[in-house]
Amino acid sequence: MSLEVPASALPSRKFRLTILYLLGTIASMSLLFWYLGVNPSSFWVDFRFIVDLAQQMLPPHMSLLWANFWTKDSVILSLIETLSMAFLATVCGGAIALFLAFFAATNTTPHPLVRLAVRTLLVMTRSVPHLIVILVLLVAVGIGPFAGVLTLTFASVGMYGKFFADSIEQADKSMMESVESVGSTRMQTIRFAVLPQVMPSFVANLFYAFDHNLRAAIPLGVFGGGGIGFQLEFAHGLLHYKDVIAYTILIVVLITGMERISDWVRRSIITQPQLIAK
Amino acid sequence: MASATVLSVRQDPPFLEWKKGIAQQRVKLAALAIGLIALVALTSWRCEVHLATFIAGIDKGLPLAGMFFPPEWSGLVGMLQPLGVTAVMAMAATILGMCLSLPCALAASSNLAPPPLRLAMRAFIALERGLPEIVQMLLLIAIFGLGVIPGLVALSFSSIGMLAKLLADGIEEIEPQMLEAVAATGATRWQVIRYAVVPQILPALFANGLFRFEFNVRAGVILGAVGAGGIGFIMSTAMRTMDYQKACMATLLTLALVFSTERVSDFFRARILGGGMLK
Repeated sequence: MSLEVPASALPSRKFRLTILYLLGTIASMSLLFWYLGVNPSSFWVDFRFIVDLAQQMLPPHMSLLWANFWTKDSVILSLIETLSMAFLATVCGGAIALFLAFFAATNTTPHPLVRLAVRTLLVMTRSVPHLIVILVLLVAVGIGPFAGVLTLTFASVGMYGKFFADSIEQADKSMMESVESVGSTRMQTIRFAVLPQVMPSFVANLFYAFDHNLRAAIPLGVFGGGGIGFQLEFAHGLLHYKDVIAYTILIVVLITGMERISDWVRRSIITQPQLIAK
Repeated sequence: MASATVLSVRQDPPFLEWKKGIAQQRVKLAALAIGLIALVALTSWRCEVHLATFIAGIDKGLPLAGMFFPPEWSGLVGMLQPLGVTAVMAMAATILGMCLSLPCALAASSNLAPPPLRLAMRAFIALERGLPEIVQMLLLIAIFGLGVIPGLVALSFSSIGMLAKLLADGIEEIEPQMLEAVAATGATRWQVIRYAVVPQILPALFANGLFRFEFNVRAGVILGAVGAGGIGFIMSTAMRTMDYQKACMATLLTLALVFSTERVSDFFRARILGGGMLK
């Protein structure tokens, strides 16, 4: 007489796998927490402490918005400064990336070695974290929005140079050949056969880049790169939590609003390529 | 006779119209260019962009770059632990964010959740996406104090913001027939989610999670500098104390970490999207 349990009484294979995955996740999480020296109970904060903090934070000082409106520390002006940083970096970074992309694409590069060099340069600029670049630039050009603009430009070149080069490589070959067959120079081929094809995606992606740069501009401001991030860090350093919350609200509104606008513009460009193409 | 036809083509209404179109387009382009230049000039004035500062910066920057070398190799061993903290913080935040983003995404999709819950969840996700990690970090420092925990929470929250939005959009694109087919077998709401929704979005969850991991490593370096510890803290203190060779060592290690996470995440993402895993 055997004591074997019938297979139908056992949990199904799928169920056992699910349990296994769950246990695996919990085990790896506890391992990671153990490495960080984080006790999960420290996520629990005293409730009274939170109430106290909330009292310090509320109501937010929204009057900051119109306080000393015409002076240099005006909040509106620093919001505009953040926007300007993102805009300038997008325009300069986009222009440099566009220029480099023609050297990095197989079908427009003057020499394969040039392509390799430019590609390597783009990979390097893409991978360097913003923190390294801003810390070096703060020493070189001083504290202020200019250092932030240069950092964002640097990062945009890396990110969009590769992207642009890839989209140039995917451009329709027959168009280039037909323009070449009427005797065009290399520049003319690029101008009349490549640019019209890739321009809509360039412009659409620049709006995306603007969005991305705007988000990245805020931490740069915290480190001394100017704009609203700088004001936020200043208020945080003075423990003026009502101001901090007001800045936070403004930042959320700014980023969400610009995201909506750039989404809308991008969609209208992509659905109507003739706006830019010719 | 032939020259007469050529002349008549020049006077052709379609040709003239084409020419007019070209002229109009040129005017538009010129207006666009002038607007762009004006905007660039205005913003560079606002951002205090001066060519002189830039040139002076190069003059100052080149000797500075010389001071970074040689990197302080003796600091290498001591920096491995903070490097690990940054990597592990990013990893833990990604896993937490992935686990939490699944229920958030289910609650935020129009074909599964009741409208009030959906609206509330969408608003929460939009808030998370609009708040940069560093702002969350500064607020969380006020709650948890300095250390890894505020960094971990900030990264997890913003991971939820990104992953839940992508997943919710993915869930909303699932064809209703699939949900109906499972529901027609008598499945409860949870069984529909388990058998019709989750298997479809799981690859997207993992692929986006890997992408987010890459992002979290970079963001973790920045958060480290404002108080989450790790390699970012080492780097910013070294720069502030003008210990450039130490900063160079930290930079090299950070680059190595960023490069390797990029490779790892690319590798697994290609396998997931290629259907090699999770099938």
